[in-house]
Amino acid sequence: MMESRPLLELSELTVASGGATVLDRFSLRLDPGESTIVLGETGCGKEALLRVLGGFAHKTDTVTGTLRFRGAEMRPSAWRAKPPIRIAWLANPLSQPFAPHASLADQLARVIARKLGAPLGSASEELRLALERLPGTVTPQLLDAKPGRLDPVTQAIGLLACVSAQTPDLVLADHAMADLGPGAVRMLLEMLAQERRRLGFALIYATGGLQPPARLGGRVIVMRSGRVVEEGDALRLMSGHAHAYTRTLFKALPQLSLTETRPRSSARGQPLLQVHGLMYGGKTRDGLTFELRRGAALALVGEEGSGRRALLRAVLAFEPAASGRVVFDAVDLNILSQTMASRIRRRIAFITGSDESLDPRMSLWDTVEEPLRAHLNLSGDLVAGYREAALKRVGLASLDGKRLVGRMSAFDKRRLQVARAIVSAPLLAVIDEPLRGLDAFAQTIMREVLIDFRVTQGPAFLVITSDFTVAQALAEDCMVFHEGRLIERGAIVDILKAPREEATKALIRAVTLPDLSQAGASV
Amino acid sequence: MSAGQTLEASPPLSRLIVRGVGWCGLGLLAVTVLLSDFIARAPAGMADPSAMLNAPSSTHPFGTDLLGRDLMSETLHGLAETGAHALFGALVAIVCGELFGAVAARLPVPLARAIRGVMGVLAAVPALLLTILLIGLTARFFAPLAAGLAAAPLAFVRAFDRVDVDSKHSEYARATGIPATTLLHRDLTYEFREMLGSVAARALAAVTIILSTASFLGFGAEPPARDLGLMIAAAKATYLAAWWTAACPAAALVILVLCARLAAGLDEGEQP
Amino acid sequence: MRSFLARQAVRLVVGVLGAVVVAAVISAIGVPRGHGLWGFLLAVAGRLAHFAQGDLGQSAISGQPAWQELGERIPSTLKLVAEGAGLALVAGVPLGLVAAVGPTRRAIAPLIQIITATPLFCAGLALAYGAVHLLHWPVSVNTPVGAAVSPDEAFEIAALPIITVGFAGAAVVQLALRHSASQASGGAFRNGLKRLGLSAFEIERSFILPRVMAGLVASAGEIMLALLSAAVVAEWVFHRSGAADLFVKAVALADWNMTAIILFMFACLTFLAEFAGRIAAHALASEGAP
Repeated sequence: MMESRPLLELSELTVASGGATVLDRFSLRLDPGESTIVLGETGCGKEALLRVLGGFAHKTDTVTGTLRFRGAEMRPSAWRAKPPIRIAWLANPLSQPFAPHASLADQLARVIARKLGAPLGSASEELRLALERLPGTVTPQLLDAKPGRLDPVTQAIGLLACVSAQTPDLVLADHAMADLGPGAVRMLLEMLAQERRRLGFALIYATGGLQPPARLGGRVIVMRSGRVVEEGDALRLMSGHAHAYTRTLFKALPQLSLTETRPRSSARGQPLLQVHGLMYGGKTRDGLTFELRRGAALALVGEEGSGRRALLRAVLAFEPAASGRVVFDAVDLNILSQTMASRIRRRIAFITGSDESLDPRMSLWDTVEEPLRAHLNLSGDLVAGYREAALKRVGLASLDGKRLVGRMSAFDKRRLQVARAIVSAPLLAVIDEPLRGLDAFAQTIMREVLIDFRVTQGPAFLVITSDFTVAQALAEDCMVFHEGRLIERGAIVDILKAPREEATKALIRAVTLPDLSQAGASV
Repeated sequence: MSAGQTLEASPPLSRLIVRGVGWCGLGLLAVTVLLSDFIARAPAGMADPSAMLNAPSSTHPFGTDLLGRDLMSETLHGLAETGAHALFGALVAIVCGELFGAVAARLPVPLARAIRGVMGVLAAVPALLLTILLIGLTARFFAPLAAGLAAAPLAFVRAFDRVDVDSKHSEYARATGIPATTLLHRDLTYEFREMLGSVAARALAAVTIILSTASFLGFGAEPPARDLGLMIAAAKATYLAAWWTAACPAAALVILVLCARLAAGLDEGEQP
Repeated sequence: MRSFLARQAVRLVVGVLGAVVVAAVISAIGVPRGHGLWGFLLAVAGRLAHFAQGDLGQSAISGQPAWQELGERIPSTLKLVAEGAGLALVAGVPLGLVAAVGPTRRAIAPLIQIITATPLFCAGLALAYGAVHLLHWPVSVNTPVGAAVSPDEAFEIAALPIITVGFAGAAVVQLALRHSASQASGGAFRNGLKRLGLSAFEIERSFILPRVMAGLVASAGEIMLALLSAAVVAEWVFHRSGAADLFVKAVALADWNMTAIILFMFACLTFLAEFAGRIAAHALASEGAP
């Protein structure tokens, strides 16, 4: 007989933390097998919701309201008893949920064993069976490595298998696929949907990105500052019949365009970077030849491990190439002394999605001023002037200049990198996955900041991304990589219109959203 | 530290209190030492043959030693001398150890590795033995310098290893033409300066122990110097019967080291 | 694991060779030589050649071959260090665990600070005082104790130096444990695994504890350094005849050859302890290269 009571009932759930209300009178009813996507920016309340539902309220949280699982009331701030339903947590591998010194398979098996109350041997078997059911080639033997040796997508598949092995009633997904690359996100969401169809678990998926609602469909709750802005079907919300905030949120969803909207600049300007017959990465292949002119923009598109960064390292002479010649600003970097090469490198800036180029010990001001102080002999006033202008350009002028980089948010750090690049006045800006770790609005602003940087300062862009929408927003031409090889090159618009290679098509599919009205997408 | 990590939040209140207590203690000891001539009941070395090995009393709060000298006065003067020597030695250890280590880490790789190798060998030998060796090669007068130089290799290795030369932000900085001197400036400004207080206090604690032990073994200060280690060595003959002759200078030594250790904030987060 | 072992072995060999060179430099100080830097370098090269041939020279204290004198003295020092190490682990590990993760750690930490701030020779003298006055043991800190009459007396005479060395070792062990526990507890995986569904106890037992113990064994070099330093002091305070006592006499008599050899030995012991510690730590909790 079907269970008639709702699986989960939340009534007027309020969470206050450190004196501030982070979740305000949230109510939700979830029936068995139903899914809900909780969508909003960082700090909208979805994190607080998930931690209360998972039983991990912080000591500083004050939680009021009613929480019921299948009619049984639980104390929302601290569970005294085990809930009467099986709850599984789907974590993001990039949040480093695993002990680095133990095998991943062992850790997943222990989780399954604990959740099912089964011996470790049985749990390992369940994990193996769950992995077999998932498409792909991830096996328990593959997972029997330390997490540091496995790529995040493999870990994500392991986590998904761990969840399905628990045969849960409810799955709480905490930004489970954020920043894994659009191709991987698409694949993993499809796997999640498949497992949901098979096992019939309910799902609450917290996300700041727009891919999950666009791909999974179903009910979406849009939140802002701890409150529900709107709730409804994904199709309706995405079609424009929605609250103004929701409409703005979904407008941030980047779409591919098959018509050229910007004049191509690749034909203008003197050559900045010329690569002739470059062979790199230890693979035997025909040498690569291409050119990047001043002010132009080229995107290297491909999944992680496809060879884009190997090319970058060879082009910028970080690693010796097997053969070939690279000329940057009319100078061959490989034949220069280190001192001379260092002088040339001042005209290169890096903006990375992992913010690795920033020293967390430095302050905001010092980070922006350092290139000026290191390379030019300017007075303090001039340095301060350039610094302020750069920070204003990226919207960081109001922040305390003595704030340490290590204590800044990802969005602020990303813009700080652009500010530092602005003062360097580079000829070439290398932009590596610039939108990683940012929520939807922040991604929109970051795209604008980068475009503004290019328009006002005029550097050439070399963009590394796995997302064709990012490539199209920031560049005109692209080279597509797959398994260490260059497979296609040309104007982005032309490639989007007529991709030749299967890998290129997969990359395009990864950022092309399904028509939810056709798919009956609610799984 | 890698840029992928965020800095920890400000040190907890308990740690700040511990360090505060340590620095206050050191400050009090410094004041006591400066005022020792006023606080002490007798000039240094003044012997009273009629008051030999007297137990602590109202006349002599710390008792007297074998020669009838007031132990409170002797301890205060000993603290002054030991403290001053240890301070000098700590300065040597900081410059030749910590500072040199931070600089050496940014030198060209082959040179940096060679220096690290030599210092690693010296750091593998107990600092006390190195001190004794250096004193033997020079003279007992150079004991504070020897203690500082002996403590330097371990400090060097710690400072050298602390610098993350291969950190991502260093790599990107080099990739954009930031010179090694600027990277060194970063290390010295943001890390070394932050830690200078705890580094100095830790060096003071280490050098105090080394110096006093060397004096105890007969290699440090020589009579008529008022070194605490020397006083305890002299008290070895009498302390089993007259415990105060060793206990008082030992207590002063322990308090000095304890305050320095607390000021260094030596707790869970620090290296042993 | 193999590449890690190879790297550590190379590190050990390079360290030992470096120690040989440093020993040759010290030994050359006492060798008659020509003037200037070249004369000194030739003397160093000469000492290296002698060492390579197994010729360790003569002891200036007894006139015997250095290796013979060391052979008589080293075992006693090594025995003292080993026994002190055993005591250090027995006392230091539980103390370190309680101080690191126990509920009383905030109360215990200041106490430990006070105890470990005591210079070792003071601790040795305090132990001797307690042994004489409270336990009536036949301990002397002024003259060498005569031969023991009974096994009990032999134990009482031997115990204090061991306790002194063990005390120093325990201080370093507990500090290493606390440091290691602090680092192990700071990982994001603790929270992550808890959210995935593991209990706090299982996380501590299966994942935190190996890391903590790995951190401890990785500090084997520093622990050995502390034990050797303590052995020098203990041998001097309690008039035990050993290599440390020989070192002090060698420096006093300017026998730089003997000095160099003893320093080389101590350095090798530290390198070996460091090597063994790193291997053990890797086996317990390596993170694997990405």
